[in-house]
Amino acid sequence: MAGHAVEHDYHLIPPSPWPFLSGVACLVWGVGMVTFFAGLVPRTGESPMLEWFFSKGLDSLQDSYRPVADQVGADGGWAILLAGTIMAALVMISWWKDVAAESRAGDHTPVVDIGLRYGMIMFIMQEAMFFVGWFWMFFELGLFHKMRAAWNTDVLENAPEYADSMAPGIHAVDAWNLPLMNTIVLLLSGTTVTWAHHALIHGDRKGAKWGLGLTVLLGLFFTGLQGIEYVELFHERGEGAPWLSTDAYGSAFFMATGFHGLHVLIGTIFLGVMFLRLTKGGLRPEKHFGLEAAAWYWHFVDVVWLFLFAFVYIIFASSLHG
Amino acid sequence: MVALPGENISAEPAGYHDDGKPKFFARWFYSTNHKDIGTLYLIFGIISGLIGGFLSFMMRMELADPGIQFFTNEHQYLVYVSMHGLIMIFFMVMPALIGGFGNWFVPIMVGAPDMAFPRMNNLSFWLLPTALICLLISFVVPGNANGNGFGGSWVMYPPLSTTGHPGPAFDFIIIGLLAAGFSSIFGAINFITTILNMRAPGMTMHKMPLFAWAVLVTAFLLLLALPVLAAALFMLFTDRIAGGTGFFDPARGGDPQMFQHLFWFFGHPEVYIMILPAFGIVSHIISTFSKKPIFGYLGMAYAMVAIGVVGFVVWAHHMYTVGMDVNLKAYFLAATLVIAVPTGVKIFSWLATMWGGSIRFTIPMQWALAFIFLFVVGGVTGVMLANAGVDAYLHDTYYVVAHFHYVLSMGAVFGIFAGFYYWFGKMFGVMYNKFLAAAHFWLFFIGVNVIFFPQHFLGLNGMPRRYVDYPEEFAIWNQVSSFGAYITLAGVVFFFLMLIEAFIVRRRVGDNYWGEGATTLEWTLSSPPPYHQFNVLPRIEDNAEH
Amino acid sequence: MKSPTNKTTIIAAIIAVAIGVGTFVALIVLGLGGERGMGQPVDGGYFLQDAATPVMEDLTTVHNMVFYWISGITAFVMALMVYIMIRFREKANPVPSKTSHNTAIEVVWTIAPVLILLFIAVPSMQLLYFQDKLPETDMTIKAVGNTWNWSYTYPDLENIEEIISNPLDEVQAKAQGKPYLLGTDAQLVVPVDTNVKVLVTSINNMHSWTVPSFGIKMDAVPGIINETWFRATREGVFYGQCSEICGIKHYYMPIEVNVVSKAEYARWVANDGAFTSSVAQNNTLMGSGQTAAQK
Ligand code: HEA
Ligand code: HEA
Ligand code: CUA
Ligand SMILES: [Cu+2]
Repeated sequence: MAGHAVEHDYHLIPPSPWPFLSGVACLVWGVGMVTFFAGLVPRTGESPMLEWFFSKGLDSLQDSYRPVADQVGADGGWAILLAGTIMAALVMISWWKDVAAESRAGDHTPVVDIGLRYGMIMFIMQEAMFFVGWFWMFFELGLFHKMRAAWNTDVLENAPEYADSMAPGIHAVDAWNLPLMNTIVLLLSGTTVTWAHHALIHGDRKGAKWGLGLTVLLGLFFTGLQGIEYVELFHERGEGAPWLSTDAYGSAFFMATGFHGLHVLIGTIFLGVMFLRLTKGGLRPEKHFGLEAAAWYWHFVDVVWLFLFAFVYIIFASSLHG
Repeated sequence: MVALPGENISAEPAGYHDDGKPKFFARWFYSTNHKDIGTLYLIFGIISGLIGGFLSFMMRMELADPGIQFFTNEHQYLVYVSMHGLIMIFFMVMPALIGGFGNWFVPIMVGAPDMAFPRMNNLSFWLLPTALICLLISFVVPGNANGNGFGGSWVMYPPLSTTGHPGPAFDFIIIGLLAAGFSSIFGAINFITTILNMRAPGMTMHKMPLFAWAVLVTAFLLLLALPVLAAALFMLFTDRIAGGTGFFDPARGGDPQMFQHLFWFFGHPEVYIMILPAFGIVSHIISTFSKKPIFGYLGMAYAMVAIGVVGFVVWAHHMYTVGMDVNLKAYFLAATLVIAVPTGVKIFSWLATMWGGSIRFTIPMQWALAFIFLFVVGGVTGVMLANAGVDAYLHDTYYVVAHFHYVLSMGAVFGIFAGFYYWFGKMFGVMYNKFLAAAHFWLFFIGVNVIFFPQHFLGLNGMPRRYVDYPEEFAIWNQVSSFGAYITLAGVVFFFLMLIEAFIVRRRVGDNYWGEGATTLEWTLSSPPPYHQFNVLPRIEDNAEH
Repeated sequence: MKSPTNKTTIIAAIIAVAIGVGTFVALIVLGLGGERGMGQPVDGGYFLQDAATPVMEDLTTVHNMVFYWISGITAFVMALMVYIMIRFREKANPVPSKTSHNTAIEVVWTIAPVLILLFIAVPSMQLLYFQDKLPETDMTIKAVGNTWNWSYTYPDLENIEEIISNPLDEVQAKAQGKPYLLGTDAQLVVPVDTNVKVLVTSINNMHSWTVPSFGIKMDAVPGIINETWFRATREGVFYGQCSEICGIKHYYMPIEVNVVSKAEYARWVANDGAFTSSVAQNNTLMGSGQTAAQK
């Protein structure tokens, strides 16, 4: 069969360096993550290579259970992390450039296009499961916290000293301030991205540009507001406002909203790239899966935010305050 | 050479040499070819199998006698146990079954020229060496005051994995598992898209070979389970940073048990992720060598779907002793028992496939038959463990170790070897030496049974897991078990002899060297298949057998 | 054509039945026939340790019941495979049939396991609820897992100080006649025929408080207090081992419970936690699940 000419519409791709380089970039990034956040501590002089590689002092392990805190920002770690991030970014840019070029070259036949759609849906499904993890954590902490602390009243009577290990009081973030604003911003951006999509379908490229541009701006605005909220919380930490390290609510709050924020950022970049492609004349009315994928992603991020707003900000905040 | 029935010896397939294969570096590092990537996965699986096997042999040597003989301290033993579990699961079984055979044969079986996203396919592969390197680095960087490496078991429960291991060793494991996890997620997206979107004309879902079904269900399990593990790993990572979060820190209102829920919500589907592809492979082998179509095809396919679905709602049977509410335990008990039903359907359908057949005991068939029997042994002990009341005795004893090695080291691994010998000629174009292969099989079969059957006794007698030293009452069976490990080691040696011999002697095989009975599409291609198969898509006729 | 096949069928059936029944009998004899440890493992033992509480008695019953079923299923599958492998090998059956469906048999092999599982599930649930339900408790003890030893307190008793139960090293164990890796330097003392509530928690890593002969295994989790109960029906010393990985000395934090007569226990309490009679101390020294009188 090898002799036959290709008679199918699938997209066979020539060898590409990006996946391999992604693996390398991931390794650098991973080592950077560890060195930056935890610090690498060679224990003895036995491994000179490691010593050369990692800049931590040899004495660190003597007080071995010392919190890893004072090693945050350990010298050298940030450089590796930065290098890994830059490498990853470069690889991704090149990779997606290739994809865009292939799309222009007509490699994305109808059947390939359907495949891309499946791929994107599956990707969003796994993102959803990722957030299921965080919400599950949050519900567990919120719903069963009292039950856990007072595991069994009978037990507590018998062993009063165990009551000491009860969790400290929970403080939550006020939902009706910046978070409300953020909700409105995101909902609005959901409509603008739909506007852009419809405009493009109807050949109104100018409208599409406006819609997409506004969406990107709203996305950036959201990130800005979120940043302000974090900074405020940071300054008020210890005065009753939740912070990452103060209690379980703070942890769940910051990690869940933080990962959501990261997704907003990714979505914004995704939409921004589509905006660039649009201004450069890419994306045709009949074929613009890139934009659709970005819009799907954006709606997904939107929905996650609504859940966050409903549960993390409103429902649990009020129930936990009391 | 020993000619196999129905085998025709052919020269190099025509056109094999000038089919646009890239040069060495581009071909193996920048690959976008599902078969080459599949081969890379298999090589990777073999390397990891060696590392994981080495660790387990060291463990068995240590456990052969009471006392601490080989390891510098107890920490090192626990490091070996943890790394053995992680490497075997994430770097041997999953790459071999899903990445290796899945990549090689799913596109061919559904009649597609390649995977849906060939470049992303290669990304899935190259994240794995990255991940393995992270795990290997973890060996040589400090874990805690007792030494290098992470010794908190493959389940990584906090607080042992947070405050108990302040060194960077565990951070590397987190990063490595995240990389491996994303590799699998991308792989899952790829398989799902390929199977749903790239079936050849006429190949309806209900005509699709069972291995493709198995990989489809597996891919969904991966897609839905791994992100939860990723979230849990991130929580561990930020908990470990001082000044970081307190998800699992009771002093700050966190809940250490919550990690177990998140982990096992991933962990239980994970065990089916490791066995379903083996089910698929075994189905093909049983059918081929009985010269019969598979019995109850639809039942077989939907049994796997059922196992996949139910597999998501039984996770807490790993947590019977954590102090759960009794009604929850009762629920998980019942749900866990339910899984025995679809699994039974599969077992009996295999037997019914053989019934009335004309059975040839080739090497892959021997592995497959052994698989069925040993999987039943492992499965029924799982049913014992599912009884929450009894599990209060058996949990974290060697009974559990025996259970899961029967389904893993004899289920999943026998599935891998069965597939490897079944498709060896197809993948590499050459036939193995039957004697060496038979020696591999028998040494392995006897060896693993001698290792793991006595571990049931140890568990019943009360020996807990993850013990570097034990009361001398347990000595006898431990000695037997370690002896079995030496037999298995001999089996592994024969596996490599077989490989070396086959590639030196190079007995070429024909397209369909198993003859009648081998009916799936890969047998219509040359051995090895052309660099790009199905330039003209095959057409599946309406009356075709699956 | 006909006669050899018939002969094969008969031979195959005989061999299969022999192997199946043989396996079943062997498993049962092997499983149930072995020597049992009371309160500690026995040398080369291959079955559950003997029961010293009602929970463990029920647990043993349920275990044995499930064990019969799974041995039977394993033997059945094995016999069937052997039969098929002989009867339908290529030589005996050169022409394969083409059957690939039979709804009746498929229904049977779906329903039959369901029924078996129901037989298993009912007693199993009863055991589960019995194990969980705290009866009227007569006394409470707290077991706290530390890295790496257990400490016990008696919240109801003011005069008994916290018992810190450290493992004995090999030399000490030999000197005291206790089994190494099971014996401790300070036991938990409880009276016989008494409902004891156990509160289990941990101050650091997770551990698991385990006494096989009591049918107890309860995780010790920091920040959480788990409870369980037992009612020892025999006097003697009962050993267990930490059963949740807790770091390097995981294998080295055993549990030792001394069950004494009620009178002896009363004297022990009155004496601020010291033994007066030699019987109880002998119990300690015997280091086995039997009282001196029984030996
Ligand atoms: C491939 C991997 C794999 C597979 C397929 C299974 C399959 C099953 N497992 Fe297993 N299991 C593991 C891997 C696997 N397991 C691992 C790795 C662990 C330990 C993790 C750790 O702690 O480190 C574990 C632990 C584990 C536990 C926790 C024990 C403990 O820690 O206390 C339990 C408890 O319920 C359990 C149950 C089951 C059941 C009911 C099945 C069922 O799916 C089995 C179904 C099969 C059959 C029953 C046989 C065939 C059926 C018939 C012939 C029909 C007739 C049968 C009946 C009517 C009974 N497993
Ligand atoms: C797939 C999983 C897998 C496999 C194959 C094995 C294989 C073996 N295991 Fe492992 N084991 C685990 C998964 C596995 N194990 C897990 C999850 C744990 C729990 C860890 C924990 O508690 O945290 C464990 C724990 C564990 C213990 C308990 C330790 C303790 O609790 O203290 C012991 C002790 O004997 C043991 C021994 C062995 C032995 C002797 C083998 C032998 O069978 C090894 C023989 C060698 C091989 C089977 C490799 C051959 C394969 C290849 C060479 C690759 C071939 C590939 C292709 C053809 C593509 N294992
Ligand atoms: Cu304490 Cu294990
Ligand atoms: Cu499970």
